Amino acid sequence: MDRGWYFRLAIVVGSSVLGFLALWPSVDRWLPCPDIVKETFENQINPGLDIKGGLRLMYEVEVDEYIRDRRDRVAEQVQRQCGVLIGVVPEEEVDDIDKAKLEEIRQRCKVERVDKDGGAVRAIRITFSNQEDAQKLSKTWVKDYFRDLRVASGVGDLVVDLHMREEQLANMRETAVRQSERTITNRIDSMGVLEPTVIARPNDGDIIIEIPGAQESSFERIKSIISRTAQLRFQIVDDESDARAVFAAPPEGIYLNAGSQTFAEAYGEDARDRLRAYIATLPVPDDHVIAIGRQDADPERGGEGWRTYYMYRVADATGEDLDDASVGFDPQSGSPEVDFTMNTRGASRMADLTGRNIGKRMAIVLDDRVESAPVIQGQIGARGRITLGAYLDRNELLQEARDLVVVLQAGALPAPLRPANEQLIGPTLGQDSVRKGAIAALVGVVLVLIFMAAYYQVAGLVADAMVLLNLQLLLGTMSGIGATLTLPGVAAIALTVGMAVDANVLITERIREELRLGKSPRSAVEQGYARAYSSVFDSQLTTAIAGIVLWQFGTGPIKGFATMLLIGIGTSLFTGTFCSKVLFDWLVRGVRVQRLRVG
Amino acid sequence: MEFIKPGTYIDFMKYRGPVITVLSLMALLSLVSLFYPGPNYGIDFAGGTEVQLAFTGDTSPGEVRKALEDAGYARPDVISVEDSPNEYIIRVREVSSLPEDQVEKIREAVDAALGEGVLREMKVSPGGDKITLRVSGEIHEQQLQEALEAGGAHVRSLNSLSGSRDPRYEVHLVGVADELTAQLRERFPDRAPAGALRVEWVGPKAGEQLREAAIQSLLYAIAFIMLYVAFRFDLRFAPGGVIAMLHDALITLGIYVLLQKEVNLTTVAALLTIMGYSINDTIVVFDRIRENMVRVRDKSLRELINISTSQMLSRTIVTSLTTLLSVSAFFFLGTGVIQDIAFALGIGILIGTLSSIFIAAPITELMDRRLFNRS
Repeated sequence: MDRGWYFRLAIVVGSSVLGFLALWPSVDRWLPCPDIVKETFENQINPGLDIKGGLRLMYEVEVDEYIRDRRDRVAEQVQRQCGVLIGVVPEEEVDDIDKAKLEEIRQRCKVERVDKDGGAVRAIRITFSNQEDAQKLSKTWVKDYFRDLRVASGVGDLVVDLHMREEQLANMRETAVRQSERTITNRIDSMGVLEPTVIARPNDGDIIIEIPGAQESSFERIKSIISRTAQLRFQIVDDESDARAVFAAPPEGIYLNAGSQTFAEAYGEDARDRLRAYIATLPVPDDHVIAIGRQDADPERGGEGWRTYYMYRVADATGEDLDDASVGFDPQSGSPEVDFTMNTRGASRMADLTGRNIGKRMAIVLDDRVESAPVIQGQIGARGRITLGAYLDRNELLQEARDLVVVLQAGALPAPLRPANEQLIGPTLGQDSVRKGAIAALVGVVLVLIFMAAYYQVAGLVADAMVLLNLQLLLGTMSGIGATLTLPGVAAIALTVGMAVDANVLITERIREELRLGKSPRSAVEQGYARAYSSVFDSQLTTAIAGIVLWQFGTGPIKGFATMLLIGIGTSLFTGTFCSKVLFDWLVRGVRVQRLRVG
Repeated sequence: MEFIKPGTYIDFMKYRGPVITVLSLMALLSLVSLFYPGPNYGIDFAGGTEVQLAFTGDTSPGEVRKALEDAGYARPDVISVEDSPNEYIIRVREVSSLPEDQVEKIREAVDAALGEGVLREMKVSPGGDKITLRVSGEIHEQQLQEALEAGGAHVRSLNSLSGSRDPRYEVHLVGVADELTAQLRERFPDRAPAGALRVEWVGPKAGEQLREAAIQSLLYAIAFIMLYVAFRFDLRFAPGGVIAMLHDALITLGIYVLLQKEVNLTTVAALLTIMGYSINDTIVVFDRIRENMVRVRDKSLRELINISTSQMLSRTIVTSLTTLLSVSAFFFLGTGVIQDIAFALGIGILIGTLSSIFIAAPITELMDRRLFNRS
């Protein structure tokens, strides 16, 4: 045998060993797996909900937060549209009102957010400063410009209350739940082949998620990824206006910094919560908000540090305009961070926002927490990054960065989720069904093995060896990526085995044809392979194309199906063409059989 | 061993007329069956009722499942709750739907009892087991209950959820869950609980998002397959493969629907697998036709198709047989879902094999005549 053959044999043996090692942690129960292998291959085959059960989570979507958020956005538009109504700005400039004009509009008609009935009714209140302006507002004006609002009271008066329309509220509740379902599904999909169940119930405002498997550690990570709101906002920090009046009388343990920037800071165990409680008591103007972010540890005051940021409420650029996110590394310190790119709309908004505010600081706020607040040095376009700070160790930071990428890519939840219920659940199928399914799979594979050996004899035995190798590689890959295996999945694997012999059948039939033409075993094998390659590749590639498309556009179970299909095609092609050739070459060149028995 | 003697030549194209007619009729029948009688959607697509209950004595999931199946529930999910022994979540497809005019009557009764404008929103869950009401201001629960009963609703319990920021009332109605609990009590008089811990309607697992994604990805898949075939072979081959693929999926689904077997997510996976098998099988035949087009110069495409199909017949039979072998094991030895998926795959493989020969190849010949204007 030549060196090329030994090299090919090494690849076959190597991949088989690798496949076995990847599979080993999954069969630990029957064949104890050494720790070193477990540490290298952390994942294992995850039994599906039907076979093993898993964790059942129920989240309530805080639809009220969503409604409040919508109200806040509409209030912003109402303020601007009022400028047109009272004739301060022309209709065309409604999206581009400068600060002085905006101030003038506020003086003449002030738009406020009002909560009634303890938050049950989210309203907007317009207060006119003179009767003449107040006369301009009519019911039709509200109807024409604001689909979501209706006039509750006070047309023609100085104070007008607008409420969200009831029928729109019902729509919003539905939208919030549906969007949450979508986002959660996307997030789970990007974590791999998990085969979860996600059921949304818009009427009750909740979502039920069932995650298969029994690994407690992975549940925690999945839960944190699912329930993270991931709302990303870019807001300008207001260091100019005098905020000392706002930050009045901090209690003990909270320090007030009143230098060039005014902010409060706290240190120690519950610093964040104390700071939050303090902020809640402050009289913040309607167009400002106070958020909290990390502060460098102070050796004198001790413990972790948190500080406040006094900033404008309006977020001109948000995570909605995010195009992509990826894990990156800081060029100087090498610590992990998250790089992101904005889409065209986001990029122009960002350029506009940063261009107008050079020299000021822009806070990058993720879920009400300021991640960083760099000074804007110049106009920024599509690219940006979120630094995670040096508060965790490197591995934790890396995991944090990875999880952040998952949630940013899948998009923000429209409203926060509140965990309502959590239960470990048993399998949906009975032990009996699972056992019968496993036996059927075994019998199916054995039948195929017997048939191939009987029909194609020696070539059939080669095919049988390939079937077994294929199974091992397929299961090894599944184990390596931590794929979930359901009972229908078991059936699919058995069917893959039945279909995978197609490559062997095509090649063997070709070898038969060549032998009938009177060729020697060696040249029959060469010719058989050369001629059969195109049909094997074309047929598998066409199926693979369908698989790639399903994987790209599908969600949930469709994506899971596509992943398994693609893995199956990969292993079938490898064993059917490459590995089987090594075995045939050994027969016709190593053993030099005089007659190749192909049935 | 040889099923087909070498050198066999079968004039497949001669039989294409009758076979295409039969297959087209089957496809047409399948298409009609999708609307009448229509698919029998399982819980994955239609949703159902979920009941959580705790038995007072040792009860195995198998026992409960058996009892429910005997009581006439098709394939109930019986899921044990791990931390509390003998507690089960039961999911059945049955729902207790409330007719539209009944809902209207209830709404009128409640409106009349509470006064104008107090009832802000009233929603009945699609499972017909729960009414959610949003009201403004304080109301008398007793009064509300009486109004609901007057409207014809069988109220089991009424809860106020005014603790949250979004005050609302949840009214549970007597329905499937109560019937189910009663049936279990009959079967296990000593152990079955008097009432359920929790009753809820569960929405479909396969919601709107999945449906959109499925249709979108299917359309893209068809487009890309046609592109690939047109590029690797030529334009004549592209439609045949895709039409044969869709034809196979349609007939399989049709048979499924006509037998009123439950259509769920597993069925979708089976259909996708069948489409993969079908296109795979077709391409292999195409490949041989393409090869013979270069090698055999003096034959018409019709003869080339016959020669190629005959040459590939042995392989076609062997591959169909091996796949059928593994599928039949699941059909005869498996249970429930597995048996259904095996049934679908079995039909798909048979139809897929036939369609490669009698649908894909003749369409290619048809395209050839149209494109090259040959007689």
